[in-house]
Amino acid sequence: MNGRPSPTALADEVAERARPGGIPFARLAGGRWRLNGEERFGLLLVGPSLLLLLLVSAMPLGLLLGTSLFRVELTKPWATGFVGLGNYLQMLEDARFWHSLGVTVLYTGTTVVLQTVLGLAFALALAEEMRGRNLLRTVVLLPMILTPVVVGLVWRTLLLTPRYGLLDYIAQLVGVGSHSWLGDPALALGAVIVMHTWQWTPFAFLVFSASLAALPVEPFEAAKLEPVTAWQRLRYITLPLLRPAIVTVVVVRTIVALRAFDAIFAATGGGPGTATEILNLYAYRVAFNNLNLGYGAALASTLLLATAAMTVGFGRVRAVVEEPR
Amino acid sequence: MERITRREMLRATALGAAALYLDRLGAAAWGGAEPDAYASARINWRQLAGERIHILVTPAHYFTKFRSITPEFTRLTGIEVTFEVIPPREMREKAVLDLGARTGNYASHTADPMYLPLYAANNWVEPLDLFLNDDKLTDRKWFDLEDIIPLWRRANTVRGRLWGMPVEGEVTIHIYRRDVYERLGLRPPETLEELRENARRAHSPAQNLFGLALRGFRGPGQNMYIWPSLFRAFGGQWFDHAGRPTVNSEAGVRSLEWYVSVLREFAPKGVENWNWPEIMEAFAAGTLVQYIDANSTASVIENPAKSKVAGQVGYRRWPKGPAGKRVTSIWNWAMPINAALPARKKQATWLYIQWLASRPTQIRSATFKETPDAVVRTGVNRVSIWRDPGYRRVIAFTPDYADVVLTSLREDTDPDWRPRIPEWPEIGEVMAIAVQEALVGRKTPKQALDDANAELRRILRR
Repeated sequence: MNGRPSPTALADEVAERARPGGIPFARLAGGRWRLNGEERFGLLLVGPSLLLLLLVSAMPLGLLLGTSLFRVELTKPWATGFVGLGNYLQMLEDARFWHSLGVTVLYTGTTVVLQTVLGLAFALALAEEMRGRNLLRTVVLLPMILTPVVVGLVWRTLLLTPRYGLLDYIAQLVGVGSHSWLGDPALALGAVIVMHTWQWTPFAFLVFSASLAALPVEPFEAAKLEPVTAWQRLRYITLPLLRPAIVTVVVVRTIVALRAFDAIFAATGGGPGTATEILNLYAYRVAFNNLNLGYGAALASTLLLATAAMTVGFGRVRAVVEEPR
Repeated sequence: MERITRREMLRATALGAAALYLDRLGAAAWGGAEPDAYASARINWRQLAGERIHILVTPAHYFTKFRSITPEFTRLTGIEVTFEVIPPREMREKAVLDLGARTGNYASHTADPMYLPLYAANNWVEPLDLFLNDDKLTDRKWFDLEDIIPLWRRANTVRGRLWGMPVEGEVTIHIYRRDVYERLGLRPPETLEELRENARRAHSPAQNLFGLALRGFRGPGQNMYIWPSLFRAFGGQWFDHAGRPTVNSEAGVRSLEWYVSVLREFAPKGVENWNWPEIMEAFAAGTLVQYIDANSTASVIENPAKSKVAGQVGYRRWPKGPAGKRVTSIWNWAMPINAALPARKKQATWLYIQWLASRPTQIRSATFKETPDAVVRTGVNRVSIWRDPGYRRVIAFTPDYADVVLTSLREDTDPDWRPRIPEWPEIGEVMAIAVQEALVGRKTPKQALDDANAELRRILRR
């Protein structure tokens, strides 16, 4: 350990200060908040960014939650008014909401599992020294650099177009046959899941590669002295050591997949019918196409709360997982 | 021997097409500026000099032409006009948000007529008669409102008042390969059944030539730009006398069955994701016998630089449906005046709209070359221009093209083509999903329309 306080120590101090009855940030004296010079200077420093954050992040958020309690339909301007939890109750009977929620869960779950497994596989494969490793790494990382909208359009027009698309051509070569990948309700959701997985597996790959490179060498050296198979080494040494990285990947990718929008929007627009309509897309349509801002806000708030709950939940899991280290 | 003859023939056809095209470029001499065309209007064009207005438009070529000649308006009036150019969907969202929040950012925009009932219900825009009837602002005789395509004016009229000025528009027509029709001895179809039969006879996917394509992509402005024509031509009614939706009537179901069956049988795979650009590209690449879509696609498919089939294209009005009528789409770009503007800006906006919709500006912009390979406008807003021999020469893709379009505009229209009510955006969306779900076989046409009808009832009752 070097002489600097560890990040954990700093965090502990902040937590201690924030605790009621802990070291006070500002002392209450004579009924007024009084800051000492250093604290005042600190506040001055963070003030502008704090204000900006409130303005661009907290305020719209509050507005969103507020709007979700009102009936605001631009097509029925005379009907505007406070409805309390009415919009949320309406959701319970809205088949399209439940459908889109189901699509979101399926989409998120599948793509996160695929990304994690594939990312890990690539990282393990490219962990060993070999010719062309750097080139391969670059190739694996490329999709992540693209904008999701571009990915959606490229997949729709260049890769999956029946008869002309590259992937459709390959499908014909291997005997699967030409299909309307994004137009057939049975295939469209699978196609957008593959699309998302293709774009974001590089992220998992990146995290796993870095973690693998930083693993302690001792357990592996010890294993060399024992008659262990490669599978046993992976199962009992590598994977347990990678556990924190796996949790990180799953958490981050889940949150991002829940927020997915652009690629699907560009590739299928949620169709055919509503086959690929994730909750985010449905909320967008309700608010900006149907101009039902109140209900749209309620849908978006639901997604937001679900994502937030997920984040908190994962935080707990992660704390537990990382403990034994 | 035969092959050489055929190739020579093809080359001759292509040369002929190119010659015709060049001839049309030559005809572009029509439509030059007439400096005193505006001076004859008995209003003071400079009464609002110094005002500035900001306008939201799409990147379509006709708006580029309008923007390119707008400095002439500024010279005439002293009013400065700036533009924001974004694609249609985003443009509409921005416009609606600006109107809804009453921020008054955009003095006017290129509106979808189907949104005018919504605008009017919210009093987001001003009725244009306020300005049309103001002698200080409008020389009615010079402007000649009645000359503007009556159908488009009617499409932009809500509760008897005009809320948006048509500045450009289109109709949907039947566009087909004359060479294929001639080779197979087919006659242009008079009815939808004949159209289906022609598609069946010309359909030869093995030769990469498909019988027919229509818009399949879901959206109020995509598949719901084409299917409503079929719905009405089959005799479908949107609402009954009590105002209850009736899209799942027998006529409705039969129209959707027709749409689904012809596209499943004769359209290329993936048509459920096709909008007009995909259809136009396929036709220009020579892989499609025919389609029904906007007349404006002619300027691309007749351009030898962009199309393999230039010079081999025929144009006809929509075939008749079982109800005995042809129903084309009603579309124009309508320019409203934002109600959130200060009075003087509203007047300045009106002067601009009046200038843009006037005969001299429409003529001047029709052939304006914003780029060297710019196409001609095929959607001018005045009957008198459509009858003008100069303009007809410019758009003589075939000898009868101008007549087909003008007749469609005048006779094949149906004010109840789509329901013009404030709830249209949501209704259009529900119907678009239903039509696409039937097309991809997720539901039967009957089931899709039953579900949609129940949804429409819920929307209207809410």
